[in-house]
Amino acid sequence: MIERTERLLNLVIALRETRRPLAAEEIRTRVAGYAHDDLLAFRRMFERDKSDLRRLGVPIETLPLSRWDETPGYRIDPARYDLPAIELEPDELTGLALAAQAAGLADEVRGALRKLEIDTGVAVDAHDAHDLGPQPVGLDLQAPHRAELMEAQLTLTTVVFRYAPADGSAARRRVDPHGLVHRGGRWYLVGHDHDRDATRVFRLDRITGPVRAASEPGGFAPPVKEVRASSVVPAPEEEPVVATVTVVEELAWLVARRARGGGTPGEDGWIRYELAPADPEELLGWLCAHGDQVRLLSPAPLRARLVARLRAVVAMTVA
Amino acid sequence: MSVASPLERLERVLAMVPWLLEHPATPLDELAQRFETTREQIAADLDILGYCGLPGYGGGDLVEVVIFGDLVTVRMADFFARPLRLSVREAVTLLLAARALSAVGEVPGALHRAIERLEELLQAEPEVAGEMRVALDVRPEDDELLARLRVAVRARRVVRVRYRSASREQTRERAVEPWAVVTAGGAWYLQGWCRSAAGRRDFRLDRIADAELTDEVLPRPPEAPRPVAYEPREGDLEVVLDVDDVAWWRFEPLVLDAVEERSGHRRVTLRTPAPLWLARAVLRAGPAVRVVTPKSLRLRVHELASAALGHYEPTTDGPDEP
Repeated sequence: MIERTERLLNLVIALRETRRPLAAEEIRTRVAGYAHDDLLAFRRMFERDKSDLRRLGVPIETLPLSRWDETPGYRIDPARYDLPAIELEPDELTGLALAAQAAGLADEVRGALRKLEIDTGVAVDAHDAHDLGPQPVGLDLQAPHRAELMEAQLTLTTVVFRYAPADGSAARRRVDPHGLVHRGGRWYLVGHDHDRDATRVFRLDRITGPVRAASEPGGFAPPVKEVRASSVVPAPEEEPVVATVTVVEELAWLVARRARGGGTPGEDGWIRYELAPADPEELLGWLCAHGDQVRLLSPAPLRARLVARLRAVVAMTVA
Repeated sequence: MSVASPLERLERVLAMVPWLLEHPATPLDELAQRFETTREQIAADLDILGYCGLPGYGGGDLVEVVIFGDLVTVRMADFFARPLRLSVREAVTLLLAARALSAVGEVPGALHRAIERLEELLQAEPEVAGEMRVALDVRPEDDELLARLRVAVRARRVVRVRYRSASREQTRERAVEPWAVVTAGGAWYLQGWCRSAAGRRDFRLDRIADAELTDEVLPRPPEAPRPVAYEPREGDLEVVLDVDDVAWWRFEPLVLDAVEERSGHRRVTLRTPAPLWLARAVLRAGPAVRVVTPKSLRLRVHELASAALGHYEPTTDGPDEP
């Protein structure tokens, strides 16, 4: 039994070196490792090899055997297989290696950097931070399914996956990926959900099982709307307000960072600021949490809600 | 023998052959180091390669692999003279890394030129039909603070930070040997050695009131970054909460020992080294979160809420504007 790696190598060589497309039958009989009497078993084997190789980036084309024969044939165009001369300078390659390391993506691009090194002539080890100097910044961008979904977005390929939202209603979803968002430490997919016929947001860490292509590349029209980081957050349900607060001196810097005006000390030593929160509900929560150190002066309706909420908590927590 | 997957081995061989064609008589050890595996694995890969070639698989068709002593030479493999092009996933991942670092103002080396080249490369792919649409929200609230801390890390300078601790709610000045600034769970942290606490600590950037570089250079090299995570310690308070579905997203990221699904809410168990901080987190969610145990935490929430209410009740003297 020939090892699978050997069969795959032989397949790549055969498809790359042929001048005309090879039919599946030719591959079965001529390429080492496929000689299989069971045609169905061969088919399964070949389909799996083809899709795995394509996923690695091996450009296997499917085209008719000839002008007179519609039977599908396969070949690899050497010009598309070969890495083009990208001619990165050593410092550019080092920059990429550092970026990948700082973004938490070093594992995913190690193979790519190795390919790029050949032309640049330097070896870059994205893992060895000591050779490259200290890394001042670390982002945590690594996530399962991210790469597949980014590829699907770029190539306009519809995907299917199983999705298990927090409410427990797991289901298979068919989605045209419009864009990805990284926010609050999480990755989200924004796309057109076929079953609901509407734009939906999916958390990548709630995708269970593999993401599979459900169309050829170019399977849907490019979306018109830009995908923004704010697309994944439900829009605030209320009108924006301007709130006036006073805060103990000790916490003033924290409020000052978000304030759009103020900073004037009052008679009691508390400092007054104007805030324009993107989401008043969010501000309400914060005012509730720090109520002993921050006072809300206006607007009156928000103040009434804050008081009602505090009363409810006081009543609930009585021993 | 390690269990390398066939695809992993294939990728390694496809990357190794171009290198070997350009560098005849490469020592096995060098290959093992370069391709991050064992000598034995490299030897096994080369063994397979020697059986590969053009259909026919006769004398002149096979790849020639010669291992002389410890030196490896490969010939008759012109079809693998070039590395395999970057896959869309590889190119897009490199591009993402480069863009993310640019977004936070960190531009190592010649990143901008590299970004342009990668974009050209991607657009040349026949299957690529659009722009990369990725929105990254990775910048901290205070860009300027991040920039200053980055300078400190790079210059290996001790920093003096005014930090408000979540557990004690005091803003104190601490001397920190900075190692890195990292994100975790959507928040930024300064990692380093805290001289005041004599231990490695993570400081959340949104609790740093101010940071100042000193002239003192770090007395020892920075340690490698590690994930920011809460590690339960002895003496931490164990807490049981009922969390309504609407407030669940706030508590989900906290370390949970147990989650019990009930109708409309979840009963969760978690531990915290900072009861005051947790009391405020409970208050923030309002009536959507109830403290089941311990009583001490419930009373703390009660006290904080009563103190807050004191600012608004008509009996108090606080400023009362219409």
